Amino acid sequence: MSPFALWLDRISGVTTTTAVWGISLAGAVIYLFAEWRIRLIALLGQYFLIGVLFTRVFMQRPEMALLKMLVGWLVCGAIYLSARIRQDARVRRPKFQWQADLPFRVLSLLVMTVVSYMASQRFTLPFVPQSLALSCILLTVFALLFIGTADEAVVVGVGVLNLLAALDLFYSAQDPGLVVTGLLVMVNLLVGLAISYLTVVEVEETP
Amino acid sequence: MTLPGSIVLVGVSLAVAMVLQILRRWTTVVAWMGALSAGALGTLVLLAPLDEPWQIRNVVIELGAPFIALGRVLVIEPVDRLPLAFLFLTTAGLFLVAWRLLPHSNFFPIGLVAVTLLGSALMVQQVVYAALLVAMASILTVFPLHESGGSAKGGVLYMAYAALALPGLMITQLLLDQFVLFPNDRGLLTTSAVLLSFSFAVLFGAVPFQSWLSAVATDGSPPVVTFIFTVNMGTVWFMLLAYLESYVWLGQQTAFGSLLTTLGLVMMVAGGILAASQQRLGRLVGYATLVDNGAMLLSLGAERVEGLAIAALLLIARPLALSLMTLGLQGLKAIGKGDDSWEAVRGAAWRVPWRVLAFVVGGVALAGFPISLGFTARWGLYRVLASQELLFALLSLAGSGGVMLGLIGSIRALLSRKPRLRWQRKRDEDGLRPVVEDPVVLVVVVVLVIAIVMLGLLPQGASRVALEMAEWHTFFR
Repeated sequence: MSPFALWLDRISGVTTTTAVWGISLAGAVIYLFAEWRIRLIALLGQYFLIGVLFTRVFMQRPEMALLKMLVGWLVCGAIYLSARIRQDARVRRPKFQWQADLPFRVLSLLVMTVVSYMASQRFTLPFVPQSLALSCILLTVFALLFIGTADEAVVVGVGVLNLLAALDLFYSAQDPGLVVTGLLVMVNLLVGLAISYLTVVEVEETP
Repeated sequence: MTLPGSIVLVGVSLAVAMVLQILRRWTTVVAWMGALSAGALGTLVLLAPLDEPWQIRNVVIELGAPFIALGRVLVIEPVDRLPLAFLFLTTAGLFLVAWRLLPHSNFFPIGLVAVTLLGSALMVQQVVYAALLVAMASILTVFPLHESGGSAKGGVLYMAYAALALPGLMITQLLLDQFVLFPNDRGLLTTSAVLLSFSFAVLFGAVPFQSWLSAVATDGSPPVVTFIFTVNMGTVWFMLLAYLESYVWLGQQTAFGSLLTTLGLVMMVAGGILAASQQRLGRLVGYATLVDNGAMLLSLGAERVEGLAIAALLLIARPLALSLMTLGLQGLKAIGKGDDSWEAVRGAAWRVPWRVLAFVVGGVALAGFPISLGFTARWGLYRVLASQELLFALLSLAGSGGVMLGLIGSIRALLSRKPRLRWQRKRDEDGLRPVVEDPVVLVVVVVLVIAIVMLGLLPQGASRVALEMAEWHTFFR
């Protein structure tokens, strides 16, 4: 067995449930912390776990799951560069901090997670097994939380990426065609570049 | 070697876009090259026969021949000709408008790539790819939108909303394909209708998703804002028609007409109220566009070919009105040092009279008041609505009136002088002097004003094109 195949085999050893709740935990970290380095590490981890879920979708072509993971990490790289530029432009030395409205965020996160879990139990999404359905719903809920409650380009962008990941998982389970997969990869890369660009564009205005 | 027309269109525009990116430093060359190539491609699609091959040395080009790759078909069909021509010719016009406004801008290469993606979305047979291509074009336009720096909220929101609309469009096709296999499962149809309505409501900026329209108009670079509101949104409109054409039974079985009418009315009324209460010029542009989008959906909701023709006429009228309005907005923003609130631009009419003229004439045209092509289209809409329900006609008129009220308030602010104390007079003297305008910009303003007035006085030509556009769609017959 080639090292690549061996690695993929190990990845697929992670259970779906672990991956789903890992994605949820990573999303919670991005939502609750204001420190960009912690958020970025959480996003890297989230993409790893999304890759694990893709190994369930692309059973016959596990390299596609690896491609999705790599694209996610590439996007993380672009975000890292722009976050560094933004930080360098700041006069004050950054320090660790939670989000300003932490109690509200914790409450909304808990409520939305419970709602997602109950929705996945009560409603069956067509074309996908229940465990993947839960991950799709959770990723969508996180996307809505990020887009709805954040002002920063990076966080809204991560919301967009989560939404695209949910769509990708759902759609690929039904139609794992190469063209749609390729186009979705391009959309992901474009979103990553756009987030990175918009983060840098705002630098001049940052006090 | 035989080349299908769709590949020629895509290949040539992408190749030119690459050259434009390399030559970005020379704005005049890039703007004219982009405008000429987009204009030539638009004219080619409009005038060249689809079924007759033509030869250039060893290469035979068949404009109407399909390009097939991995089972996916890309083809220029007769129904696509006018929409494609609209997209490319509007882009050409906007490149000329942006020539003196956006030096060394990446709007020219990115705009050409975006219009190519949008054109491909119209040419591709499977609607799921159309949705993905539109999403890609929308994300691409975010780059030139914020080139000049400042708040990036408009671009962030536009990208987020374009992504929010994507799942509905893609999943709808899955569900409708399922419905073909299981025609007794009516739930699939209902879910499709809900998802599709949600996605298009988001893309058109319908209430309550209107925030991206005002944010883009406030924060974005004016020529790029016009591109988004005309070329991008025009494609969304044509995509909606393509969905209705592909799934005729969807429109017939799920009370689509009343849904569109309600949505259109809500957009017009809410947009009118929001526009009337605005004290920022950029937001006024955004809400005027919201009202115009509402008028288009209302026309479609009439479920008649005349309604479709009115919507097409509104779409044809929009680039002229918006270009003029955003040309004015750009100059007024410069006066307010990036701020477009009434307070910041108070008295600007005495410093940049041509920009104020552009903003006002463009605003009147976009609000659908005389003398403009927009008025002809809106008048047709009121008549169609009155024949069905007088209240709807009155409500839509009120929406247009709201935009006009907002515009009148802006005119008052632009004409009134700031009160000054005696000791301030000397210091502010320079700030009151008229700004010397770029003569090319003045020429563009004058040409656009004349075009709007002439089309308002003689709308027959544009109406014929709109009717031809409408007659290609058969779902209301």
